[in-house]
Amino acid sequence: MTHINPQTKLALVVDDSKTQCMMLSALLKEEGYRVVIANNGATGVEKYVEHQPDLVLMDINMPVMDGYEATRRIKKVSGKSLAPLIFITSMDSEEAYIESVEAGGDGILVRPFSPRVFKATIKSIERISDLYLQVRNLQQEQQQDAELAEKMMSEVIESRNFALSKTGVIKQAATMFSGDMQLTALCPNGDLHVLLGDFTGHGLRASIGAIPVTETFRAMTKKGFSLIDIIAQINQQLFDLLPRDLFFAACFANISEHDNSVSVFNAGLPEGYLFSSEGEIKQRFSSIHPPLGILVKLVASAKPELNQLHSTDRFVLITDGIIEARNEQGQEYGKSRFEQAATQGILVSDIATNVLSNLNDFCQGMPQEDDISLIDVPCAAWQGEELANQANQPHIPETFIVEDSFYDTSPSWSWRLELKGGLLAGINPIPIIMNQVNDIEGAGEHWQSLYTILTELFVNALDHGILGLDSSLKKSAEGFEQYFKERAIRLENLTDGFIIIELCYFPFEHGGKMHISFKDSGTGFDVFNVLKGNSCAQSEGLILSGRGIELVNQLCDTLDYQDNGTLVSANYVWHNLKH
Amino acid sequence: MSVSCNISHENNQVVISINERFDFSLHQQFRDSYSQCLDQQLNYVLDLSETDYMDSSALGMILLLKDHVDLHASQLVIRKPSDTVNKILEIAQFHRLMTIEH
Repeated sequence: MTHINPQTKLALVVDDSKTQCMMLSALLKEEGYRVVIANNGATGVEKYVEHQPDLVLMDINMPVMDGYEATRRIKKVSGKSLAPLIFITSMDSEEAYIESVEAGGDGILVRPFSPRVFKATIKSIERISDLYLQVRNLQQEQQQDAELAEKMMSEVIESRNFALSKTGVIKQAATMFSGDMQLTALCPNGDLHVLLGDFTGHGLRASIGAIPVTETFRAMTKKGFSLIDIIAQINQQLFDLLPRDLFFAACFANISEHDNSVSVFNAGLPEGYLFSSEGEIKQRFSSIHPPLGILVKLVASAKPELNQLHSTDRFVLITDGIIEARNEQGQEYGKSRFEQAATQGILVSDIATNVLSNLNDFCQGMPQEDDISLIDVPCAAWQGEELANQANQPHIPETFIVEDSFYDTSPSWSWRLELKGGLLAGINPIPIIMNQVNDIEGAGEHWQSLYTILTELFVNALDHGILGLDSSLKKSAEGFEQYFKERAIRLENLTDGFIIIELCYFPFEHGGKMHISFKDSGTGFDVFNVLKGNSCAQSEGLILSGRGIELVNQLCDTLDYQDNGTLVSANYVWHNLKH
Repeated sequence: MSVSCNISHENNQVVISINERFDFSLHQQFRDSYSQCLDQQLNYVLDLSETDYMDSSALGMILLLKDHVDLHASQLVIRKPSDTVNKILEIAQFHRLMTIEH
């Protein structure tokens, strides 16, 4: 009695001659196989399906169904497993050899053969079969790893985006991983940073750089760094990280709801767009810089492009995968088809869906060659109703709480920074200050307002005090552009002047007070008339300038100008919400 | 689809021309076309007049060629890119990195 071990391998012998079957069975058993027998091709296929053997020996000439046909059927049902199959025949002809290989046979043994030749053939087939199994296991492992990595990647990257529900997105990878990435993050002053990027190539190789880019983009945006600082840092990182022939084409934008402006830096992506709510193209933003990761430093002359916008405009970025998608005739989808589809999309309030369905209609199911991405961002109202302007509405108490005055005697710490001459053009002190505050007092929601106050006061001291720019220029759309051009020129030529920033912090039992002062070396201004003029115009909702100081006024407990407008002091008071 | 490379010793010129598509499939061929040129002070010309398609990996390959050229104190000129190819070079702002002759 033979003990059947399920671990032993199973062979299927298909032959209409009983003698042959017995002979082959005996040889196979010597090699450690269990054997199943079928006497014609048709039962051979049935037994194959039933037993899933590790090896098949197949005769050619048999009744009912011959060996070639049976082999074709077996190879068809075996799908992805190898199902190693050897023809055993006495037909020693070229035709028989060729046809057996074409039917799917993995080898052929011509009778008569010695047991040694038989065993050698089995061994060589086993070797192939083992290799095949190894490859399959590796493939499966790789697939599982890739799926896991893909899931983690998309969780780290896109799912933490800001205002996800308000932005329209197309992200369709050519392979499992996309080399494209879409990021949005909220700045401390309420602006929105947007990034659409495309790493060279696609697949895993192209998506590795996505993690450092995401981390840098988020962390620096949160700390209040300017767009160009963030781009410079990402460029530097990718230059160090990526091999020479890999790079990152990306477009960055800072959208300010408060200034009604967008500033755009396109490094190697197709044109970006600003659409009006009627679907008209108000502005195109073409590439002004080589993709990131190629040059050790950004090209100095390439500056973000600043544009005015309306709150109902849409800002749209795409990667070249959309423009270069082809149909069966080899035609490109192209820019004008995209622009039409986007315009139609605006009219039905869904750019992404409209562009994607138009693109799919055009491509008629042609396989996708490159990653396809689009991001469509509204230019205002990113935060939900309940969250709207949270950053701009601190918890200012109606009246000063009496107990606070006991704490309001001497500051627990103070901090001073003096910036001179050319440094004023290159250094943004606000992130430095916010870092100090966060280091000493810990992070907190209330610092968002402080950030806004500091930014506005610094910009005022620099633009009006030091550079002597007239903000009434910003009243018209043309002047708006002229203002920022003039500002860039004056900054470049800045050699003297100073701004002194001082902070004193007074802790309260349930909150605190920050005393802020900015002193600049400018000539000052007629405080009374300017502020009065501002409030009038503001109430009529007419002007583009002067909003900054109005906002600071609302956020601060007190706001005073001294020394003919060259010294401004503000007190920002905050209280913990009582639970 | 092919890469051809002519080396003329008279005027120290290496001309590399690409036909039809310039994409990742040419990676090895492209690299082989110049990697044996180890002399200093050569004039490299990348002729893209017969190239009708180029993808971003081709841009990467050009950067590798540029590195090789810089390493051997030589010059690189991209010659006569076709309209389609020029559009791609323009988006990537490659004229800021190397000379492009139209």
